[in-house]
Amino acid sequence: MNIKRPFLVELLTAAALILAPFVLPHLGFSPSTINRILIWGLFGIGFDILFGYTGLLSFGQSAFYGTGGMFAAYLLTQTGFSYVMAAIVIGAAVAGVVGYVIGLIALRRTGIYFAMITVAIAEVFFFVEFNPLSAFTGGENGLPGVPTPVFDLGFKVFEFDTDWTMYTFLAFWYFVGIVIALRIVRSPVGAILSAIRDNPLRAAALGHNIHGYKLTAFVVAAIYAGFAGGLLGVMQGFMPPDAFMFDTSGQVVMQTAIGGAGTLFGPLVGATVWLYLSDFFQNTLHLGATWKLVLGIVFVLLVCFLRRGIVGAIVDLYGLSTGRKSAHPAQASAESAPFDPAAIAPIAPRRRGGAPASGPILEARGLTKRYGGIVANSDIAFAVDHGEIRGIIGPNGAGKSTFFKMLTCEVAPTSGQIMFEGRDITGTGVSDVCQLGLTKSYQINQLFDRLSVRRNLTIAALGEARGKFRLDLFRSLHGVPGLDEQVEHTAALVNLTARLDRPVSALAYGEKRRLEIGLALATSPSLLLLDEPLAGMSPRERVETVALLKSIARGRTMIIIDHDMDSLFELVGKVTVLQEGRVLVEGTPGEIKTNAKVQEAYLGGVHGEMA
Amino acid sequence: MINWANFISQCFNGLVLGALLALISSGLTIIYGTLGVLNLAHGAMFMLGGYAGWVAYTYTGSFLVAVVAGSLFVMIVGVVVERLIIRHFYTRPHEDQLLVTFGLGIVFVEAVRFFFGSMSQTVPPPGLLVGITNLGFMIYPTYRLALLGIVAVALVALYFVLYRTRIGMIVRAGIEDSVMVDSLGIDVYRIFMLVFGIGAMAAGFAGIVNAPVVSIAPDVGEAILVQTFVVVVIGGVGSFLGAIIGGLIAGEIISITSMFNPGYSYVVLFVAMTLVLVLRPHGLLGTAGRE
Amino acid sequence: MTPLDHQKTAIISRRTVLHAGAGLLGSAVLPWSSLAAFAAEDKPAIGTWPTGSQGDTVYIGAAVPLTGTYALQGADELKGWQLAVEHINEGHALMKALAPKVDKGLLGKKVELLSADSVAKPNQAVEVEQNYINQNKIILMTGSTSSAVAVALNKFAQREKVLYVAGISGSNDTTGKDCVRYGFRQNFFGQTAAAAIGPVLLKQFGKGKKAAFMTPDYTYGHTVTKSVNDYLTSQGGWEMVTNQVSPLGTQDFSQYLTNIANSGAEFLINVNWGRDAVLSTQQAKQFGLLPNMKLVIPYQIPFLAKEVGAEITEGVFAATDFWWTQEDQYPLAKQFVEAFQAKFGYRPEWGAENSYVSFAHWARMVSEAGSFYPPDVIKQYEKGETIPSLLGDVHYRPEDHQCIRPVVIVRGKAKKDMKNDEDFWEVLEVVPGEGLMQKPDAFGCNLGDYT
Repeated sequence: MNIKRPFLVELLTAAALILAPFVLPHLGFSPSTINRILIWGLFGIGFDILFGYTGLLSFGQSAFYGTGGMFAAYLLTQTGFSYVMAAIVIGAAVAGVVGYVIGLIALRRTGIYFAMITVAIAEVFFFVEFNPLSAFTGGENGLPGVPTPVFDLGFKVFEFDTDWTMYTFLAFWYFVGIVIALRIVRSPVGAILSAIRDNPLRAAALGHNIHGYKLTAFVVAAIYAGFAGGLLGVMQGFMPPDAFMFDTSGQVVMQTAIGGAGTLFGPLVGATVWLYLSDFFQNTLHLGATWKLVLGIVFVLLVCFLRRGIVGAIVDLYGLSTGRKSAHPAQASAESAPFDPAAIAPIAPRRRGGAPASGPILEARGLTKRYGGIVANSDIAFAVDHGEIRGIIGPNGAGKSTFFKMLTCEVAPTSGQIMFEGRDITGTGVSDVCQLGLTKSYQINQLFDRLSVRRNLTIAALGEARGKFRLDLFRSLHGVPGLDEQVEHTAALVNLTARLDRPVSALAYGEKRRLEIGLALATSPSLLLLDEPLAGMSPRERVETVALLKSIARGRTMIIIDHDMDSLFELVGKVTVLQEGRVLVEGTPGEIKTNAKVQEAYLGGVHGEMA
Repeated sequence: MINWANFISQCFNGLVLGALLALISSGLTIIYGTLGVLNLAHGAMFMLGGYAGWVAYTYTGSFLVAVVAGSLFVMIVGVVVERLIIRHFYTRPHEDQLLVTFGLGIVFVEAVRFFFGSMSQTVPPPGLLVGITNLGFMIYPTYRLALLGIVAVALVALYFVLYRTRIGMIVRAGIEDSVMVDSLGIDVYRIFMLVFGIGAMAAGFAGIVNAPVVSIAPDVGEAILVQTFVVVVIGGVGSFLGAIIGGLIAGEIISITSMFNPGYSYVVLFVAMTLVLVLRPHGLLGTAGRE
Repeated sequence: MTPLDHQKTAIISRRTVLHAGAGLLGSAVLPWSSLAAFAAEDKPAIGTWPTGSQGDTVYIGAAVPLTGTYALQGADELKGWQLAVEHINEGHALMKALAPKVDKGLLGKKVELLSADSVAKPNQAVEVEQNYINQNKIILMTGSTSSAVAVALNKFAQREKVLYVAGISGSNDTTGKDCVRYGFRQNFFGQTAAAAIGPVLLKQFGKGKKAAFMTPDYTYGHTVTKSVNDYLTSQGGWEMVTNQVSPLGTQDFSQYLTNIANSGAEFLINVNWGRDAVLSTQQAKQFGLLPNMKLVIPYQIPFLAKEVGAEITEGVFAATDFWWTQEDQYPLAKQFVEAFQAKFGYRPEWGAENSYVSFAHWARMVSEAGSFYPPDVIKQYEKGETIPSLLGDVHYRPEDHQCIRPVVIVRGKAKKDMKNDEDFWEVLEVVPGEGLMQKPDAFGCNLGDYT
């Protein structure tokens, strides 16, 4: 987000909300339409945090919209409770609690499964509202007679009982909603949510409890929905049962998609377009029942051609018109300047726990992994000492990657035990292991492609700075102590300083490779596993990367898998050779080069690789 | 107290409903399993099958022609939609695929309303299958009995296509590992187009054979879609067999709970889905491969 | 608050405010001065009055389902309103018979109907009407094919102080516990249907019968079922052997029908509405329940017979608001059916009839009162004068704003007896409304204020 002008977005929003009643009516918007747009927009902010920022597409938001609204309306119309704002807040809180419970179920799965489950759950809510609870919700009639808010400040009574006073009321809450949402997406939690959207596996591997954060986003979205539902009842003096209907969810999804997901303002823009068009088709073009067909076609075309919605397109256009400063010159200078990672201070491994810094840092006993009938790893005994750099080689299919995955607890071993710094980590999760100081850089890049390099490294560094799970929803990223330093330090080490503000998708392959290592490094691991760090690199890049690896090895234990033996043997003190899922032999590079069994293992295949 | 005659009848109702849900869901699930696209327009495909069949029926008066026309038309719609739209979404996020198929569903429903109006239409069953049959222990509409057979035959045919033909092997391989199929040098796009067509056809076929039971209207697919989701979640995404088992379970739950309190049929159904999710997150027969 | 507040006075159009509102101060001064001008009379501005009736044209807003499950009935209702507005503007003879003081418009103004899709959803309906109030200053609202919408618009009318006449609405609540000062209903409803069809059933079939009910699971369904069942059990000793309650939007009724088949019922009383009624009736036939059981539809659904066919509706008993063959007895009905058929190409069902008549009655009240001022119009209704309808004289009851009108009992004709392809029902009896309807306070009506 914009660092130099921290409150620019908020100020622009406030200005737009103040100007809207003077401008929009001239474009054919009635005040009640504008009020509805605000409610949809507020509802959509929460949905956008869930969908646009976290990547969870829920078709069940109507459940929370309805729950919040009904609860508030019930309090206000049936119980004699007369504090309108308090009722809305209580409704939103109830929606949040319901969201938490539903989230526990729905978030067991992601992607399409998640979408289907949310649809089904929302249907249940509709049935329950309609029947078993109809004594409380009014069944199909809903709850009429919801009062408008009144604030008595002693010297003046504010009553929001007309369209425009209601506008000020809603605009105020929309503004509060957007300010809170901006804080959330700019907070460490926001950064992790976008990481979950781009690459949940890596987000977890960097030490974040992604389930916890997803649940957080889900609850936040539910609270926004519940709050908006409460406002709906107050706005029109009537809480309708159709708030619970699938169409409500569908509409917020469509409006967000039209406006642009991941922008926070997308839902507002989408709602504006949606309500405007439906009014225009029916009352200006007099399309009758055909209005929905035309609107449907417009929607499909927008999804096909405007990938990031209207707000996204505007941002892109703005980027084009200001001619985003090309980084090519900088790139040239960066490449030409000699880069010496050894000149940069190393990132110290974090010391966690009180285990002695000598002896084995990692020990695996009897490690076995079977996939059905196939044995990937069999009875591996393996130990690495503090400060050691270990190489692992083996022909393709020797089980190297599976072995790594077990060490980082990405997959659980079928049998065997893994000890890290004296504690048994068998069966714990990849996030926990990362928090303990053991992490991996991946054979195939696992980056957060839609984010900048800086944001990538930030997400990695946050794991160390904040632990596995923390609800610092309102803290600025810059408020996390040591975070910026860690990010810039890591970027300098992997020679990406000049690239910090570029999106990952714009990086060259070699740069992505370095960022891959940088992500692992930014967690300050005491034990770093590198799965084929040199894969796919040009000879010159290899030389640079070897120098980089040497530099980051200072004060750190590393295990490296690679096929480039020349480079590997230059780096490591000891080599373990795997073959057919077993440890074939272990020794210094010199011993391995001359070992007959190793020769045979490799020569059994093709001659070339042992060079 | 349970009335056993009623109980058996209800089991039968569940079977018929379940078989139909199984057929529709299997279309949804093979599309998803192969292409990785959840087709939210699947309910609309079901509806289109009914309308195409009804149009054919009004011109020819033949139920058989209606069934063939309904299925083929929806298959063609499926192929065209895949070729023109869905194909461009394989490389885009899942969410975009959901959005575009959701929008297409609305377009189909409203287009049908535009051309044929909102009045519901009936396709009568073929003369032989009109009336009711006395099974001794209960009486049952003849066409519904036949429907059970018709759907069973369709499922078996689908099974043969999936498990006994080259295309089916590729489809199933694709469900296991789409990258591998890619690397085999098979023209994946052609296969995808075909799969989308077949999946859509399953819905279209179900739409027209169901038309004599439930008269068709533009909105007929909406309710079905949510039920197929539940079926697919229970059975396991991408699993053909799972769709069948899930369909039967869903059908029986809806029917049997209605003996006690029909208002809760759907609530119980969704509770069952939740239970499956808690105990077997990938569904009864699902694999962990696909998300 | 901001000067924009004064919008609520509705004295000046939104545009005027905003043109002036380029400068905040300007708009702050203007509305108050104009308000003073009108407040001089004894009728302070209320709702859209007087802005809505100051131009050459007055607007009516209809929120009507054009898509979704009730789209069919909605489209029919809309045609009734369109025809009524056309007749008001041209001073058609039929309109003049119902509202004599209408003369090519209403109080010298043209009437224009605005309509938008409500998808039969209360929220959408309120949204549509709220827009029309804002944009067009409508002076009358209408629309509904479900009581949920009618109740919502009732409450909304009272809040906005804009008159509302209900479209199809069968719930007792619309002029019962949810009645309002600003809402009126012309058509019959659940309790009257039960009271009208009950005696006919007892007369035709005698006492001590067994009936199975099919009830849609929402308030309307439960109230109608209760009304009918209460009558039949208390007056005729009938027994409800089963009551199958199905969720709204059920497609497959087999499980419910199976329960009924095993219940030993002789009568099937189907309270479902819209598409639910079509599907449940068709499937009852498939399951062989019909014609073995006698089907009774206490609240007839427009187009039901057209959709399910005469094979199924043959011998079915139903209560309705109007059936077109009544043109033989009622000259006004004849005029209406002819005009409607000429314009739209089919004979109107009762949805269109209710639309037409409720507009005509409104036009009558406005023209008799000589004012668009809502309290004047309401008081005109509340005089309870006897006024004509398509089916003879009726009046509006001042206590609950329900039109006291006859209920028509029909029986389905066999296909061979049909004189044309829309001749589905024969009229058995026209039950006079007086004495049929419950006491006005029976359902807890409390109308609320005029202003």
